[in-house]
Amino acid sequence: MTESSNADKAITALKDALKEHDYIASQNISTAVYLAQKLSKPILVEGPPGVGKTELAKATALLLNKSMIRLQCYEGLDESKALYEWKYGKQLLYTQVLKEKLSELTSDSESLKQSVEKLNEFDDTFFSADFLEPRPLLKALWAEKGAVLLIDEIDKSDLEFEAFLLEILQDYQISIPEIGTVKSSVPPIVFLTSNNTREIGDALKRRCLHLYIPFPDSKLEREIVRSRIPNIEATLEKQIVTFVQEIREMDLKKVPAVSETLDWAKALILLNVHSLESNIVRSTLNVLLKFQDDIEYIEPEIPTLIRSAAR
Amino acid sequence: MIHDFIKALRASNIRISVAETMEAIETLNHVGLFNRQLLKDSLSLVLAKTRDDKETYSNCFDLFFTMATTETTEIAAQDSLDATPATENKKSHSDELQNEGSSSLLELIEKSDQTALAENIAIAAQQVQLSNIKIFTQRGIYARRILEQMGVSELERKIHDLARVGEEDAYNYLKLRKAQTLESVLELVDKNLLLYTANSGANLRQEILEKTPLARIEIRDFKTMHELVKKLSKRLISIHSRRRRKAKRGVLDVRQTIRKNMQFDGVLFNTVWKKVQIDRPKVIAVCDVSGSVAQTARFLLMFLYSVHEIIPKVRSFAFSNQLGEITSLFEKMPIEIALNEAINQWGMGSTDYGGALHELERLVGDEIDSKTTVLILGDGRSNYGDPGHLALKRMHLKSKNVMWLNPEPRTFWNTGDSEMNKFNASCDRTESCRSIRHLERIVSDIARRTV
Repeated sequence: MTESSNADKAITALKDALKEHDYIASQNISTAVYLAQKLSKPILVEGPPGVGKTELAKATALLLNKSMIRLQCYEGLDESKALYEWKYGKQLLYTQVLKEKLSELTSDSESLKQSVEKLNEFDDTFFSADFLEPRPLLKALWAEKGAVLLIDEIDKSDLEFEAFLLEILQDYQISIPEIGTVKSSVPPIVFLTSNNTREIGDALKRRCLHLYIPFPDSKLEREIVRSRIPNIEATLEKQIVTFVQEIREMDLKKVPAVSETLDWAKALILLNVHSLESNIVRSTLNVLLKFQDDIEYIEPEIPTLIRSAAR
Repeated sequence: MIHDFIKALRASNIRISVAETMEAIETLNHVGLFNRQLLKDSLSLVLAKTRDDKETYSNCFDLFFTMATTETTEIAAQDSLDATPATENKKSHSDELQNEGSSSLLELIEKSDQTALAENIAIAAQQVQLSNIKIFTQRGIYARRILEQMGVSELERKIHDLARVGEEDAYNYLKLRKAQTLESVLELVDKNLLLYTANSGANLRQEILEKTPLARIEIRDFKTMHELVKKLSKRLISIHSRRRRKAKRGVLDVRQTIRKNMQFDGVLFNTVWKKVQIDRPKVIAVCDVSGSVAQTARFLLMFLYSVHEIIPKVRSFAFSNQLGEITSLFEKMPIEIALNEAINQWGMGSTDYGGALHELERLVGDEIDSKTTVLILGDGRSNYGDPGHLALKRMHLKSKNVMWLNPEPRTFWNTGDSEMNKFNASCDRTESCRSIRHLERIVSDIARRTV
């Protein structure tokens, strides 16, 4: 009995805390964040663009007071950009310094063998952590207080990179050939986001919790608008959300996302609008819809939509 | 219980690995079992990993947990969490219940204690492993096994005795109650059947359809076929889009690199990559929709439709006694409408290969170049008219590839009015394409060549 009510409370608390950081989470989302912490598993977040997948990671980082490290994926991303790179310049300088020191050191030794032995007394500093330039993944593993790692749009990266991530996601460790295995002291909280441009591999999915964020219902969306734009008038806010929700039901090339609702609301406030009118809607429709076909399709419907939004 | 639930999920086509099962159990440890919505949310995070799966999962969850009564849920759940120390106590508790249950169906009925009865049914169902049920003909067997587990034989003896002694009222009453119990047992069995076998029928059907010759598939299976073809094209898209990207990457162009770096005194500073010219594949597809292939025309068109989805530049034509372009039809309409339109407009005449091929040459002859693949779907039966193979030959010379897919098995080619021999001479490949399996192989091949 206790586990369940504890979990319940913790999740509600989490939801409220996220809200304080301007992220309105549904029950499902806060459950996911809670479980990710408890099971220390990465979350794979999927959903249409603009529903706040990236925002979720940001809000979580703020909430837990951890630094957020972001890795934007794209085609051709490889480990030298994602994991680490050697500081070549510094290595070059080091060899220069070494050269001078070397002659000093080896001046008193008589044979070649002796000087080699002398050199061996020094550590192999050349390929050590000092010369490592950490990239996002390594930074996240090294972070002493733990971090929130956001691997954004994993579906844009190549299959090879996806396979490369598996070790990190499973054990929070990574193998660097020259140094050995780097293991994190505090496992970071990992978010992966995907827009579904391609199917993510089963191996990756298996290691993650899978969260699907759909478009919010009107109640949730109104809450989001209110929290993001506190000075909005109640009537306008209600009309905007109803209008957008109705548009989403229609057969469009690209349905407006939450971020577009927010942009539109901001635009309308700037224009000093108090309630929706057809000529204003018509002239600002391009904030909401990004295809000319869609705009042409919606335009004749505007009066009807406004009427039902005003109700 | 969690194992039963996962079994149910697997039955409805959600893939769940062993590792995920273990995670689910760990999740249960964290969230407990008493808040159903919470349980549903958290298990969905662990178990259902695509959007479609989430929907299936949600249905399955509701079905599963409305079935388990709260009481048995508790017991069974504790059973499944073997790791928890409380298990032993609970186990003995449930054992007690079971003993009680199996000995006293008669008592229960006499006491007419409905809740206890329902509880006993659920426990008995667990003991006979109702979750192993496979097909609907097993209904009776499982129902009987459950009743026996509950001690129905005692009840039957009693009823028998009563009948012999002649106590009508008591006899009728018990008989009625027995029938009622049977009803509720059957109901439980049905629910289980629905849960654990939701998809096995459909799966079997799909497997058979994949192998059935196109000509023998009936219209009522059209929907399933369409799904299959869709699945097929999706798979092909994901395979071939990857190959295309790889081809784009190219290799170091040494000559260009040296030349470009002259300005740096020949120190190789900037690299120049060889660019791989990606052929924009062009496919011209012609489909015979005449009476002689009426059965298969629909599926050949369906196949063509999926080709449209995979390969960017396709022009499609349909013909029987006349030939017409159906490209725009395919691009704008959903599949059902597009197919019907195509068949209504161009189908159901008698085949005229000669006319069609000449017409095709007239329409697209100038467009055919060394990058074009010509794809012909038809049985090659020309009703003893002009087969038009000379027109095909001229197109063959200009094109990259001519492929002929014939829905007839090879042994029937060149019998009667089939002119495959003549066509064969001007084709790079002729294939017999009779089932989804064949289709898959051939489309994959085309996509590989055109990319």
